[in-house]
Amino acid sequence: MAATPKPTPVEIFESGDSALRVVASSADTEANWSTVHSLAQWLETAGADGVHGAVPTYDSLLVEFDPGVTSARQVRAFVLLGLRQLEHVGAPARTAREFSVPVVYGGEYGPDLERVAEHQQLSVEEIIALHTAKSYVIRCLGAPAGSPMMDGPDFPLPVPRLKDPRLSVPAGAVAVAGRQAVIAPAVAPGGWCVIGQTPLTVLDAASEPLVPYLPGDLLTFRQIQPEEFADYAGRKLEAAR
Amino acid sequence: MSGSLIIQQPGNSVVTDMGRFRGPRFGLPVNGALDQFSARAANILAANADNAPLLEITALDFRMQATTDLLIAVTGAPLTLTVGGRECPQWEPVSVRAGETVAVRRITGGLRSYLAVHGSVEAPELLGSCAPDTVIGFGLRLSEGTELKTCRSVGPIRQPYFDLPLFRLGLTRPEFSSRAVIDVTDGPDVDEFGETAELLFNTEYTVSARSNHIGLRLGGVLPERQSTAEVLSRGVPMGAIEVPSREELLVLHRGRGVTAGYPVLAVVTSRSLDTLAQARPGHAITFRKTTVPEATAKHRAAIRELENLRSRVSTIFALLGIGKEPGWPELVPAAGS
Repeated sequence: MAATPKPTPVEIFESGDSALRVVASSADTEANWSTVHSLAQWLETAGADGVHGAVPTYDSLLVEFDPGVTSARQVRAFVLLGLRQLEHVGAPARTAREFSVPVVYGGEYGPDLERVAEHQQLSVEEIIALHTAKSYVIRCLGAPAGSPMMDGPDFPLPVPRLKDPRLSVPAGAVAVAGRQAVIAPAVAPGGWCVIGQTPLTVLDAASEPLVPYLPGDLLTFRQIQPEEFADYAGRKLEAAR
Repeated sequence: MSGSLIIQQPGNSVVTDMGRFRGPRFGLPVNGALDQFSARAANILAANADNAPLLEITALDFRMQATTDLLIAVTGAPLTLTVGGRECPQWEPVSVRAGETVAVRRITGGLRSYLAVHGSVEAPELLGSCAPDTVIGFGLRLSEGTELKTCRSVGPIRQPYFDLPLFRLGLTRPEFSSRAVIDVTDGPDVDEFGETAELLFNTEYTVSARSNHIGLRLGGVLPERQSTAEVLSRGVPMGAIEVPSREELLVLHRGRGVTAGYPVLAVVTSRSLDTLAQARPGHAITFRKTTVPEATAKHRAAIRELENLRSRVSTIFALLGIGKEPGWPELVPAAGS
């Protein structure tokens, strides 16, 4: 979030008695993303009685609050105040950190790699090359457990989800679906295609923050061999710079 | 004086609180007591802070032994509470003597009950909350032999005549019914369901056995999404009603994944989320449309009721000397000195 463009116009929707959905509605997806994340940061920093927090994703922001303390109307006014502030002062700039993630591709580590290659009509090597070629922007923290949600690799086609989602995907699973990419921080059910696995520990429930990255940080994947997996096991994912 | 609770029969029980409100921004669900009204009431009846760790006992019988004198309160679904074999009232403070067994049996009509101990119990915290998170494997699930440290002891308080119940604080208990009416407001994506959105209000739904703290699955006639455009992942509120499959309606509860890509048809009000927390598999659910201002007013009325209870409890407990720090009683300065 180094750039601090002016916020885009937003629409605000009621989402029950304890939340509002704020949607940035311009044609510029990058500006929409930057708007909802700067607004989340502003709400967080400014703080208001009864506002629990904000969950920004791509073009939308969920603001949660305690209806015993504040109300949808008051929170809406608070959001509009935040937007006016950002209009004048811009969002605080934060230098993106970079993470390098070692991945064992295919085999038992990436059971869907061949299927994905077949669907894209590419070789397994080409899929790995495309997946490791790009520097990914972490767009948001998603379910489960602070997963880094990223725009996907430059594959020719969107990746279909599994018809039968797995009941259990291991922690460290490196997966793709649609035009998105992700690492699973914790064991969870999942319908995304798992193409590899990182031996690094992504989620550390004993430390705060639980995951080391924030939206706006950059992430690259690099291929390692199965015999190297054990060398990395137990190490925590840390920013390279 | 601190002591402990020794779990003899855990049933299905955890230590929880009102929830991990800082969780969602880190991608963690809020979790916490599913029936917030009952949990808050239990803590108030035990003269605790609202957010103090307490026990959530789901569906199955539960038994524990106290190693020290305690004051407890049990709320939530109707059940049989016994202390040292004596039947005791629910929704009132109850004295427990060191060595006595506390048993919760026959949870009926609802699903979850709450047991608060005056002074609370010790539990590990993550982001300021002890609420279990099943996805990341955090939290204190009770098993046979688990020992919970209690933070404060309260000497026995007994009605000297016939051991009659001592307290009658008179909180209006929520209704527990196998045919619940659930209030919802229009979801932000209601238009995507066109006219089929009305089906939500003309259908009786049945709670499926696959329901849990993450969400309830309801069988019945389903509204259908009219558009097919891809939805980008976005934050979804607690109470969001989605139609992810052709078989069931999904109502997200406190354990919900924070982001999802399904349109939100309607959102259950805070008060009705408590009612849903008590819905058992097989129970019938119908939905009623309300507005955000009405839902907020109902929520605040419930909070006011609990605040009244809190002031009654604090008056009575002050008279009984409960909740004071141990030590010498305050001496009135001698006259003339």
